[in-house]
Amino acid sequence: MASPTLTTGTPGPGKNRGARRVRRQLPASPWLFAAPGLLITGAFILYPFVSTLVNSFTDRRTLVPGEFVGLANFRELLHDDMFWIGLRNSSLYVLGVVPALVLLPLLLALLVQKNIPGITFFRSAFYTPVVASIVVVGLIWVWLLDERGLVNSLLEMLGASPVGFLSDQWLILLSAMGVTVWKGLGYYMIIYLAALANVPRELHEAAAVDGAGAVRRFLTVTVPAVRSTMVLVAALSSVAAFKVFSEVYLMAGPSGGPAGEDTTLVMLVQRTGTGLTGRVGYASALSVVVFVVTVVLMLLVLRADRKEEA
Amino acid sequence: MPTSRRTFAAAAVAALVLPLSACGSGGDGGGSADASGKVEGDITFQTWNLRANFKDYFEGLIADFEKKYPGTHVKWVDQPGEGYADKISADAAGGTLPDVVNVSPDLVAPLAKAGLALDLDKAAGQYEKEYLEGAWASHRIPGTDGTYAFPWYLNTGPLFYNKSLFEKAGLDPEQPPKTYDEVFDAALKIADKTGGEVATLANVPTIEDFGRYGVPLMNKEGTAFAFNDAKGVALLTRYKELYDAKALDPQALTATPESSGKKFLTGAVAMNPGSALDLANFKKQAPSLYKNIGITDQITSTGHVNMYVMGLMVNAQSGRKPAAVAFAHYVTDAAHQMSFAQQVAIFPSTAGSLDDPYFTKEDGTDETRVRVAAAKSLKDAVNYTPVLFSEQMKTELRNEVAKALQGKQSPEEALDNAVKACDRLLQQQG
Amino acid sequence: MSLAEKTRPAGKARATGRERKREPRITDEHGRRVRGWELALRYLLLLGVLALTIGPFLWQLSTSLKGPTEDIFSSPPKFLPSDPTLHNYERVADTIPVWDYALNSLKVAAANVVTNCVGAALAGYALARLRYRGRRVATLVFILAMLVPVEGIIIAQFTTMRELGLNNTLVGVVLPGCVSALNVLLMRNAFLNLPYEIEEAAFVDGANVWQRFFRIALPAVKGTLAVVAIFAFMGAWDDFLWPLIVLSDPSKFTLTIGLNYLHGTFANDERLVAAGTIIAVAPLIVLFACLQRYFFRGVGEGAVKG
Repeated sequence: MASPTLTTGTPGPGKNRGARRVRRQLPASPWLFAAPGLLITGAFILYPFVSTLVNSFTDRRTLVPGEFVGLANFRELLHDDMFWIGLRNSSLYVLGVVPALVLLPLLLALLVQKNIPGITFFRSAFYTPVVASIVVVGLIWVWLLDERGLVNSLLEMLGASPVGFLSDQWLILLSAMGVTVWKGLGYYMIIYLAALANVPRELHEAAAVDGAGAVRRFLTVTVPAVRSTMVLVAALSSVAAFKVFSEVYLMAGPSGGPAGEDTTLVMLVQRTGTGLTGRVGYASALSVVVFVVTVVLMLLVLRADRKEEA
Repeated sequence: MPTSRRTFAAAAVAALVLPLSACGSGGDGGGSADASGKVEGDITFQTWNLRANFKDYFEGLIADFEKKYPGTHVKWVDQPGEGYADKISADAAGGTLPDVVNVSPDLVAPLAKAGLALDLDKAAGQYEKEYLEGAWASHRIPGTDGTYAFPWYLNTGPLFYNKSLFEKAGLDPEQPPKTYDEVFDAALKIADKTGGEVATLANVPTIEDFGRYGVPLMNKEGTAFAFNDAKGVALLTRYKELYDAKALDPQALTATPESSGKKFLTGAVAMNPGSALDLANFKKQAPSLYKNIGITDQITSTGHVNMYVMGLMVNAQSGRKPAAVAFAHYVTDAAHQMSFAQQVAIFPSTAGSLDDPYFTKEDGTDETRVRVAAAKSLKDAVNYTPVLFSEQMKTELRNEVAKALQGKQSPEEALDNAVKACDRLLQQQG
Repeated sequence: MSLAEKTRPAGKARATGRERKREPRITDEHGRRVRGWELALRYLLLLGVLALTIGPFLWQLSTSLKGPTEDIFSSPPKFLPSDPTLHNYERVADTIPVWDYALNSLKVAAANVVTNCVGAALAGYALARLRYRGRRVATLVFILAMLVPVEGIIIAQFTTMRELGLNNTLVGVVLPGCVSALNVLLMRNAFLNLPYEIEEAAFVDGANVWQRFFRIALPAVKGTLAVVAIFAFMGAWDDFLWPLIVLSDPSKFTLTIGLNYLHGTFANDERLVAAGTIIAVAPLIVLFACLQRYFFRGVGEGAVKG
């Protein structure tokens, strides 16, 4: 599965002829196929987002309709320290989480790929964190990482002094990243497993015959074969990472850690825009910025992919 | 337990004067404030996380009401603690607010400004004298001239401290601190004796702490904040001293009421404000701690303790206003508040109820001692948190205070910045 | 299915691979023998990761089994409850109608699985295989939808739902996520990776587009479909804020909302909360454990070599 080219998906040159013929069909059916998805997405995601777009040019509040204010919200953003903190943290999150989520699940997939006894148990167990809701996961980890929690008790047994995972602004961010990676491992492992099933075993065998060690086989056979999947994982995880909310919210608290230094952009959207006193207009402007950045991020990942391909 | 405080947490919110073009017509509600007429019809009653523990009480209450007023039917919906403000926001924006809603003053304020809360001075003024003066006033919103919710239950509480930690630091566990200065001195001593291992306080000062310390929070007109005066700076300067000495928990900057409660339970923190509700919880959660718990009065420099208020608001757009008003009054009248108070450690807001022997007679148990002391202090307690202090303002104050504690700015700068930010939010809410 | 088997280029190689697996010695997925030390290392790593992934859940389980007299804040921590009891679970069941809420959750999750599998497969097929004007626009719609930050649009969604008269219904809970953009794109990629030759053969046989979709393309992407199904179930089962906002009638509440009552107004009992989280997670784990055989096999089989 998993072709990286989410936008175009041009099939390989040899396939074109067949493609053209297969694609002949009843004239109305393509839209029939796509209709349910388009309808739902249009009505419940894009239409509300259009109203967000409109609101971003107003000073609307939760219970007050508001008036058109032009670009005032966007101008205010530029002078809002919290906006820059949020932008910094969301960007750091992408940098911290994406490499780990591209690489670790692939290694994990290789580890559970072999059919050794009990492997199905391990595969399912590794998937457990994905299944649990993020709130449950957050509660569990906050309790584990507490100054007197399990992790610190274990560290103390090893003779180390307790670490303030949940009090230092950088450690909070790092802990949240850890939880994101922990919860995402199984999810991306599955995607890699599917891709690995596609790697022709002849390739591995040929490499083994050539005397290539495990590391070299990984780099010369596995990585190129699942490269397109790696790009997909990078794209999905970077968008998710930039929009991170729950993990940081649960670890850093609603005000975003010490002096708000752990606030992410989506946390700021939530903080300014919700509740009965929410500044819907300003929060909408923030939402629009988040949206634009993720679009750019996606384009960057895809472009990097195309460059490598060329 | 600590959730109770957050739930009550009374950041009051709201807007200045609403443009007349907006949802309502300013102060006095979208619909007419007239609630006279026959008490009949179906109404919906929404509470905030009470079903789990008090299902029987409310079902009985509703059955009695329906019996008293034939032709009425009350549908009770209870919402969980999380996301209550989001739920109310969506309902308010979508026009699906229930007829009678359990609110705290911070929730009432914006709803009143938007004309969604019924002005009870007009619709039910005859009931005012049944309630404690302070309680009735706590749903009065600056910038409007009405009162927008029936006062319901109140809460306040003592200060709990860990006797064995006091002893370890060489303090007399039977002589707990009585004033702010004594608290701060004890805290520094404990931190010093334990090499910074044990902190005494777990939370950064909040708006109500400033209030209790005697800092004026707003100007007289209620149009601007004023907590950046010399007294406010003095309080924050003391806190900074504690933070540097680790007498204020290093995790305080990120603490929530839940986490600081937990810290007290694990013996990592020597003092924690609480309420009568917490005692039972201590017994259950940390039996080994319970015997070490000392109880002392809430610290205040003004002579008035802080209280939390819950209220019942009537939807101004309700089609069954007579029934809704009658029901909200029925739930909050003296008899029913008294019977609710006997179910759980909260306090009635009705005049005279606190003189009931239940709240005045000691029987030697800790529960009773805490209850009697709290009831006594409630008679002239104050809800310090200004009704107009929104969730967003709380965050601004908290973050500026944190920067001061970290030494990134002086206490003066911090409070000046916080006042500026809160004033701006106040204007924008209008 | 039979058609797909016939046309699957790797069909033969797979069959022999399966036979080889029946031999008693331990082999890898390529039928090669695994060496002893390598096996030991693998198990060591597997156990390490296992401790990391399910350890936290076991800690929570242990807390939920501790009785009212046991100090759960003791330090150093006690891993095993000294006197395990199900009392906390009974209390959860006394506090909230767990079974009613679980049934509602099940309805919502099941509906979400069906709509996502059907909707995403149809749309994914349209994006990957069918040629028509506006196909790129349609693809773009789904990609953009995936990027919209949902935190900012929830009240607008609620207002739309109310205008449709679907607030306070389980349908309203399901609707906004019933064909998620991410799932559509996952299905699209799965279809894109199928070789055209398979469908061409059917096309020559005179099969129309629906027949090709149902008989050939769909069975070939079972693995991705299984992934979509699991994601859809999880998403619906775990969601809190949206169901809370849409529903007002407690009899319609889902389990996640219900469990939130355990963070009580007047008491916050760590043991009770722990029992609640276990109740929330356990059905998913059990469900997954039952289905994982099909799930992982599907993941492998669905991916036809391209």
